[in-house]
Amino acid sequence: MTVPDETLMAYADGEVDAATRAIVEAAMRDDPEVRRRVAQHQALREAVKGAFAAVIDEPVPPRLIAAARGTPDGNVVDLAGARNAAAVNAPRRGLRWQPAAMAASLLLGLALGYLGWRGSNTLVTVSANGELVAGAGLAEALSSQLSADHPPGTVAATGLSFRAKTGDYCRTFSLTATHANSGLACREGGSWKLKVLAQSPETPANSSGFRPAASADSAAVRAAVEESIDGEPLDQAGEIAARRGNWSHP
Amino acid sequence: MSTNEIVESIQEQIVALLPRLRRFARNLVRTPHDADDMVQIAVERALLRLDQWHSDARLDSWLFKILRNAWIDEVRSRGRRAKIFMPEEAGEHVGEASIDREVDRLSVEAALARLPQDQRLAVSLVLVEGLAYKDAADVLEVPIGTLTSRLARGREALQAMLRLPEGDIS
Repeated sequence: MTVPDETLMAYADGEVDAATRAIVEAAMRDDPEVRRRVAQHQALREAVKGAFAAVIDEPVPPRLIAAARGTPDGNVVDLAGARNAAAVNAPRRGLRWQPAAMAASLLLGLALGYLGWRGSNTLVTVSANGELVAGAGLAEALSSQLSADHPPGTVAATGLSFRAKTGDYCRTFSLTATHANSGLACREGGSWKLKVLAQSPETPANSSGFRPAASADSAAVRAAVEESIDGEPLDQAGEIAARRGNWSHP
Repeated sequence: MSTNEIVESIQEQIVALLPRLRRFARNLVRTPHDADDMVQIAVERALLRLDQWHSDARLDSWLFKILRNAWIDEVRSRGRRAKIFMPEEAGEHVGEASIDREVDRLSVEAALARLPQDQRLAVSLVLVEGLAYKDAADVLEVPIGTLTSRLARGREALQAMLRLPEGDIS
């Protein structure tokens, strides 16, 4: 009897039921080739596990222990940069058990404050039914730029693009003209509705005036993305296809 | 237990899982420092959404999933910097040019790094982390059949790259 290799693999991984185990073990008794293949799976398993064994015994950096206990020691992750420090750390205790609605209203407040301060409809406008939508400049950036694009003079760097569970296309962005605003917009009914507009701690733009797209990655934006994303973010080919369809619901 | 005590108890469980989270992150990101950064981001996210964790679900799987999603976000949003694995490109040529004489001497880590990300994560979760197939499938948000086929292909590629001595259990 021929036992498929995937079954031998599952046997080596302890993933077969008693009946299958009996079949595999009978085949192993009868057939040296089966024994060899099972041993090979087991040897690989040991080799791979062994290669990473040392990590387990390393001392865990204190900053990670502090993060797990919710008592950050101020050593903020530099992947996202210091701009996220306040967004990540400050609201945590208060927000931990709060419903998302509270976070949403907080962000809306920030957005409205921002709108009033900016006094421009290039970036954000209010639609007839009171929703916040991307103004002409931001909408242009969201509709035309790929995540890898950073055209000079753009009002926003685009970050992550993805399909939401609603089926709509959504994109994260960070505004280049200001120091501190990143957000999430979703394409609904032919306009870019703002789902999140979050204020991050001030980080000056670099000399070229461009801040990397990672700036769109404030904790609030990330949380909103994680909440609404369906599957994986779009890769560049996916963005191109979506752009070709004007980001409308396929 | 009060809410605070529950939170603190989960936090301590997360502390206990940190070594495994760090190990898993090493399979996502090239440098140990960046891997730890990913762990920190994931842990911070997890604490923000503890209310979404159901106590009948495995805490380790849930954290692995958050870590994986955080990593995907980083890869996409950072404009694909060189020090993070490039998911599509990294393994595209495995099975072709990369299996040559030079590759005979690859360490296990280097061989794993050459796998396509799907296969690398399946191998890492099952072989390194010891997750059951169904838990690994849950972390990767794929059906179990997809998980096992990624695992089988990943193993095959590793076997070819490593040329492990063949076992003999006669």
